[in-house]
Amino acid sequence: MNNQPSANKFWAWFNPMGRQVGGWAFILNRITALGLTFYLFLHLIVLNQLAQGPAAYGGFIALTENPIVKLGELLVVAAAIMHGLNGIRIIFTSFGIGVTRQKELFYGFMVVALVAILFFAARMYMG
Amino acid sequence: MTTPTTFKPVSAPRPGENSTLWLIKIATGPVLVLVLILHFTVNHYLGSMSSGLMTYDDVIQYFQNPIIPAIEILFLITVVSHCLIGLRGIILDLNPSRSVLNITTWALVILGVSSVVYGIWLALTIASKSV
Repeated sequence: MNNQPSANKFWAWFNPMGRQVGGWAFILNRITALGLTFYLFLHLIVLNQLAQGPAAYGGFIALTENPIVKLGELLVVAAAIMHGLNGIRIIFTSFGIGVTRQKELFYGFMVVALVAILFFAARMYMG
Repeated sequence: MTTPTTFKPVSAPRPGENSTLWLIKIATGPVLVLVLILHFTVNHYLGSMSSGLMTYDDVIQYFQNPIIPAIEILFLITVVSHCLIGLRGIILDLNPSRSVLNITTWALVILGVSSVVYGIWLALTIASKSV
């Protein structure tokens, strides 16, 4: 019964045993995708405050000053940067660019991601 | 002689994913990177609050330009399509049966259409408000 849903196939993503860089890139792409999808719909729901008027929106904006909410925002920014750059690497290799240099591409993009995340973290927490 | 690398996650349509959907997902990716940078910069850095966020009046003022709701709606359609096609791809990794896949596909279509209709209503509602 090969063609049956299997929860094990999902949980196997989180198994760190025997992974190579490509495996981590694959998992990173999926986990950030799931996180960003969840955030997208949450974001759409929250933006409904704009339709309710200035008081409702003001209350939501005040909430964004909460350090835990800020941490959540930083996680979203980090996920978006990593998913975006990892996605660009996948597009490159899908069209035959850098296929033999995928490890280097991944490491290079993740260094760029790290720098960008640190920049946004500094901007968020230190003004 | 060097050993060939085992790092080969070259993307391609999965079994059950047609090439049009795969191509939409791939093509919307770089568009989203660019639009997201623009969206993030405008909404989080150019607002009049000290943190750079937009106040309510900023948002209403911003949406008075008719090109803005149009861009935001196109952005919404692009991001929802990319997200839901990607989510279907992740579900395909779990190797679902044909009936489960059909139900999932319809659920995602309904979710996507509902989100876009809601987003269009929201953008037009904001645009119709005055400062």
